[in-house]
Amino acid sequence: MIHDLTTIRNIGISAHIDSGKTTLTERILFYTGRIHAIHEVKGKDDVGATMDSMELERERGITIQSAATHTIWDGYHINIIDTPGHVDFTIEVERALRVLDGAVLVLCGVAGVQSQSMTVDRQMRRYKVPRMAFINKLDRSGANPVRVTEQLCEKLNHNAVLMQLPIGLEAKFEGVIDLVTMKAIYFEGDSGEHVVTNEIPEELRDEAEIARESMLDAVSMFSDELMEAILEETVTEELIHDAVRNGTLSMDLTPVFLGSAYKNKGVQKLLDAVKRYLPSPLDGENTGVDLSNDEAPLTLASDPNKPTVALAFKLEDGRYGQLTYVRVYQGELKKGATIINSRTKRKHKVGRLVRMHADSMEDIASSSAGDIVALFGIDCASGDTFTDESVQISMTSMHVPDPVISIAIKPVDNKTVDNMGKALGRFVREDPTFRSRVDPESNETVISGMGELHLEVYVERMKREYGCEVETGAPQVAYRETISQRSDFNYTHKKQTGGSGQFGRVGGRIEPMEDGGEDFEFVSEIKGASIPTEYIPAVEKGFVQCMAKGRLIGFPVIGIKVVVDDGKSHSVDSSEMAFQAAGRGAFREAYGRAKPIVPEPVMKLEVEGPVDHQGAILKTIMQRRGTVIGTTESSGMARTESEVPLSEMFGYATDLRSMTQGTAEFTMEFARYLPAPAEVQKELKEKFSSKIVDE
Amino acid sequence: MYRKFLNARSPLRLLEKGLHGGLGPGNLGIVVGGPGVGKASFLVGVALDELLRSGRVLHVSMAHPVSHIRDHYDTVFEDLAASAHLEDEALVHVDIDRNRSIRVYPKNELTPAKLREAVKVESEASGQPSMLLIEGLDFETTSREDLADFKALAGELAAEIWMSVSYSKEQIPELPASVERVEDLVSVALALEPGDDVVLLRALKDHDNPDLTELHVALDPKTLLLTRH
Repeated sequence: MIHDLTTIRNIGISAHIDSGKTTLTERILFYTGRIHAIHEVKGKDDVGATMDSMELERERGITIQSAATHTIWDGYHINIIDTPGHVDFTIEVERALRVLDGAVLVLCGVAGVQSQSMTVDRQMRRYKVPRMAFINKLDRSGANPVRVTEQLCEKLNHNAVLMQLPIGLEAKFEGVIDLVTMKAIYFEGDSGEHVVTNEIPEELRDEAEIARESMLDAVSMFSDELMEAILEETVTEELIHDAVRNGTLSMDLTPVFLGSAYKNKGVQKLLDAVKRYLPSPLDGENTGVDLSNDEAPLTLASDPNKPTVALAFKLEDGRYGQLTYVRVYQGELKKGATIINSRTKRKHKVGRLVRMHADSMEDIASSSAGDIVALFGIDCASGDTFTDESVQISMTSMHVPDPVISIAIKPVDNKTVDNMGKALGRFVREDPTFRSRVDPESNETVISGMGELHLEVYVERMKREYGCEVETGAPQVAYRETISQRSDFNYTHKKQTGGSGQFGRVGGRIEPMEDGGEDFEFVSEIKGASIPTEYIPAVEKGFVQCMAKGRLIGFPVIGIKVVVDDGKSHSVDSSEMAFQAAGRGAFREAYGRAKPIVPEPVMKLEVEGPVDHQGAILKTIMQRRGTVIGTTESSGMARTESEVPLSEMFGYATDLRSMTQGTAEFTMEFARYLPAPAEVQKELKEKFSSKIVDE
Repeated sequence: MYRKFLNARSPLRLLEKGLHGGLGPGNLGIVVGGPGVGKASFLVGVALDELLRSGRVLHVSMAHPVSHIRDHYDTVFEDLAASAHLEDEALVHVDIDRNRSIRVYPKNELTPAKLREAVKVESEASGQPSMLLIEGLDFETTSREDLADFKALAGELAAEIWMSVSYSKEQIPELPASVERVEDLVSVALALEPGDDVVLLRALKDHDNPDLTELHVALDPKTLLLTRH
């Protein structure tokens, strides 16, 4: 167990795809002695980077699943949470960010700040994760760390300060100048494992002095002592380190480090910086909600002596069985102890507690607040909170968006149906934005998620990990139905066909929820007993049944308030069934008159490309019923933000590529539901009614 | 209330009256104010008025990111719609969004040539703007030639151009020096000054009219709406 919390660093390494994040992680594990040989990403030598334990990731050379790995640098415990880079997996990024105390933003020294970096950076800001930057790939032609640092300031609004200068660039990149110690640092040996400190080369001396001065200028804002010391010319390394740490922790400063992970340069100095500048679990504040006190928020203390609170942020079906990654926020997690899941109230015994390395593990007896560990054989969903039995606390529930796109899937080979079920069961547990259901009408299995790529990845994982190949249907957008005005109903359900009859009358109104809310509300304003109290839930049930499938285009109805204020019953013929039927009838009666409309999911689309191509970029957006919000121009690039209906976004990547000769890139995430225009609504309506006729 | 009543009742009509017909196409107008007094809100108010009257607005800024400007519009529009009980608010909102473009440039990087290029791209994609807003231009260091060129662009497009001009103090003199040197290029100059509980709008220059009248228009700092005063 780690007793001194100040020596723990829970960090994320976050970056644009292809910025070299995986290579950097791999090098960190190598220099900290966790792995003993270096492999290249993208399977150049067929082994792949250690962090990419999934075959699919290996093949694509990207990391999709976040895994936590523990390593030690200079006596400090560093837990690296590997965060996925693609926006289609946003929930994973956000969940990983939640458990981080700090992060390293990896930027490509050539491409600089790309649109993906902006998304990730925005998320980090939202979760208040202090960060520093590592400008990678300085060995590549066109690398320019000064420009990338400027982009950090301009595009991401960071107060980015170079803490190092490169010695040579591109093919001549040799090492870095440390502006704190004013020494040249070289990385020698076959794998750069020998860090050699030397005097700054004469020709770089002046440049380094100037850079140090501007660094001190920026950094002294965060320490009065340093400012005084500068005036009195008594600056010490310690004073600078303290000031940089202050600025980083308050998120007012982003120290920038340089290197080339691939060429084994700069990584050890980055680790030193992680140790010095990024927060320990004691520096941040974490809050949960008190379930025993109406979900009142409460602050958790990184104190091993308080009641245990831990968050399961990641599940993995590894080769050793089901693994649950948890972060302990308060108290201790001990082998053999009993913990309780705050959501399900189920008790679990902690059988095995392990510290995870990229692909191996170490058994431990206990783990305390601030640490990240993994549990074995605990059945839970990701996002669940565990406590000891003394408190009822849940970590604030994270916002989980509803899926916006679905596809039907069918196994190619019927023998693999079981495997498909297993795979889906696991994916659903691991990823709350991924859903699976069997459509009762078509009897097809339908999976839903946050984007095309999101679903594609799962289809591929099914094939690779479960040997189950599936055929996919056309993607289906998650439309909704709602009403745009109030409408009254007064419906009598009456049946007299021998035996006991059925009778029930309900009167009232349906109206849109205020402020465009998406919920359903049922209010009974029945006075007296015109409808006996015991039948009112049946009326509600009748409405709910109808809302599962709207009568306009056959999609779920949202955002409706039902008020029942009148009715009639019969002492013999009224029953629960009769009032359910009356509720259904009342809905049918009122719905058509309430001017139903079709909200459709609209995505926030950001496209970035050279200024010369912005005409073409705008065109791709306008063609897709998009609304342009605005364009930001800087250094020859234009970034256009817009909102585009999801239904228009299929095949966008290909189209954008051909319209801009591959120079533009885009990111997309769900924004909100907006009413579809009349012509789209009409088309959907026709499709729906022809389907009904077919049946 | 319907859109057309909202337009007729807008305090901007009062402003136009005070300015003998308003800024007018092809002209350059400026609003001068101290830091944080509400120059951006004035611009947004003027732009929303133009949008509600089915104009097209290009909002150029060197001061804020796109998302920030958009939020500003949304906030002011929602307040305006609520205060006027606007019918079909959602549809009007969609319409407004479609007719407004925002463009953001790094500090000191907007040149008349760049603006021309931007207007061209925007016009091809969605239509020619009838109003241009320029926010965050350093008026003091902008050359006379450039300002003349901005004005020429307003003429070519038959559009109004409004610019915000920062002043270091709360109280604005008759005409700040940075404006005086290019007075002939500026058709209308307004000052925004904090009053008791509202921010008051005062005419510094009204075309060639020697007598400046009271404008009776103010900016409510709580709702960011332009109001009668």
